[in-house]
Amino acid sequence: MPFQLLILRNVFTRKVRSGLTGMAVAIAIMTVVALGVLTHSLHQTAISVLETGQADFTVAQKGVSDVLYSAMDESEVSRIQQTSGVQSVVGVLVAAVKLDTNHPFFLELGIQPNELAPFGVQVVDGRAYNANATDEVMLGYSAANDLHKKVGDTINIDGHNFRVVGIFRVGNVFGDSASMLPLTTLQANERKPGDVTLAFVKAKPGANIDAMRSTIEHDQPELATVRTVSDFGRVDRNLQLISAANVAISILALVIGAIGVMNTMIMSVFERTREFGVLRAVGWTRARVITLVMSEALLIALLGAVVGVALGFVAIKLLQRVPEVIGVFQPAYTADVFGRALGIAVGMAIIGTVYPAVRAALLQPLDALRHE
Amino acid sequence: MSDAPRGEYAIVAEDVVKTYDGGMVRALDGVSMTIAHGEFVAVTGPSGCGKSTLLHLIAALDHPTSGRIIVNGRDLRTAGNEEYRRNEVGLVFQLHNLLPQLTAIENIEVAMFSNGMSHRAQRERSRELLDAVGLTEKEKMTPPRMSGGERQRLAIARALANDPSILLADEPTGSLDSAAVERVLELLRTIRERHDVTVLLVTHDQHVASTAERIITMRDGKILDALPRA
Repeated sequence: MPFQLLILRNVFTRKVRSGLTGMAVAIAIMTVVALGVLTHSLHQTAISVLETGQADFTVAQKGVSDVLYSAMDESEVSRIQQTSGVQSVVGVLVAAVKLDTNHPFFLELGIQPNELAPFGVQVVDGRAYNANATDEVMLGYSAANDLHKKVGDTINIDGHNFRVVGIFRVGNVFGDSASMLPLTTLQANERKPGDVTLAFVKAKPGANIDAMRSTIEHDQPELATVRTVSDFGRVDRNLQLISAANVAISILALVIGAIGVMNTMIMSVFERTREFGVLRAVGWTRARVITLVMSEALLIALLGAVVGVALGFVAIKLLQRVPEVIGVFQPAYTADVFGRALGIAVGMAIIGTVYPAVRAALLQPLDALRHE
Repeated sequence: MSDAPRGEYAIVAEDVVKTYDGGMVRALDGVSMTIAHGEFVAVTGPSGCGKSTLLHLIAALDHPTSGRIIVNGRDLRTAGNEEYRRNEVGLVFQLHNLLPQLTAIENIEVAMFSNGMSHRAQRERSRELLDAVGLTEKEKMTPPRMSGGERQRLAIARALANDPSILLADEPTGSLDSAAVERVLELLRTIRERHDVTVLLVTHDQHVASTAERIITMRDGKILDALPRA
């Protein structure tokens, strides 16, 4: 009989105990997967804001709790423009508003019409808004489809009535789900005259982008430049906190899951004392006993992880139906999240089984055989 | 069976003492004996006389407080216990100690892990042993569905899994009805003859002991006599 078959037989013979242990692991893994997907999705959503413009890097106010709270005045944008190597800078005011219960997180991007092209905006229907128009808006094609709006329709955004004059595409899911209107109009509506949220910087061909970023941050220490996802925490403390909470909860899930595994495996070893005595009496080595116990726990943990991942998917689907959450994030199922779940499941099995396995291996055969 | 030099005797006990509770209980009190290769010996005596303790020491399930035991020329104080239990001795217990979640054939195979045989060879060997103990038809049956006699015969088959030179049986008929007792004893005699195995049988039952070639009688941790069967 292959050793693996013995492991399978032991796990599936004790269905209730294996099932309960597996469920403990599954719940922990579900938490890890759901939180991981949520955090990653929020990360992706946030980074999408920065990727909307076709820029080499983005500039925002340093250390704000949320990137949408970043505020720069036009003089700061002008100074960025004067930095050596900068080809163009597009200042954009971003506002997040609630359209209705199905669209609680709708973005308005305030941008001057002459900067639409450098920003990568392609008008696919109608025309661009006029620079000083107070009632003209363009919708991204995804937003237009979702809201069933076309050129010539009207739309109320945050208490202001607009006429849809054009439909645009930027080639980015997040941008294509947003609206665009004149910068001055949005500044007035948001009571932020002269302010922009983000500056999208395009470098001249061959320019040293890292040197350019250093110069900007040196000259204007209140600003931070963002080029990669890992830079994002510098301009969004909330996301940093969420990521940290995700790590902390993963560690907590690992510890709680490991304690659950340890609890049931200790019970299992206690109940199977005589069995281990028999195996030792017929010549099994301590190492083989340890391998058996740990392999059983590992199998249970891996099966629990599979169930946990499935439950994680279900949890995310349910979360997306919560009114407060609808539209706030799009789930991003990445290998990283599942890799972490698998790692935590294996960790639970190993940490939770070391003591029971060693205890089983150290049983004296004669004492174990006498066990009732 | 091991190919190493086997020594003059299968089992030698030299002034073996085993005490418990810091010397308060003296289970074996200077036991010395020899058992020849291929001999069928019964150790008998009243409960608590030390016969099972002696068997446990020979099985390397426990260690003497003093004295030494030599099996097939190997001093058990220096022998590797696990390898010794796996290859040199086969153990049969009163309560058979089979694994209830495994089938009959798997219960035999579980004793063959680490013996270097392929899975196919292990299965063939297990089938031979099931045949030898008359359980061919019960190959896929689990112990809870077998009778007491069948379980004990299966336990004997497992004890022979690694082709040991010595079979140690501790009250193997203690929980069986008379028909099953006779069948197990007949099986032990057959195994001893066909497999050239030394059999050491511990029993308090004089009828069972009388099937052996030699009977060692113990009392209060000492050997009273070691006589050939009358």
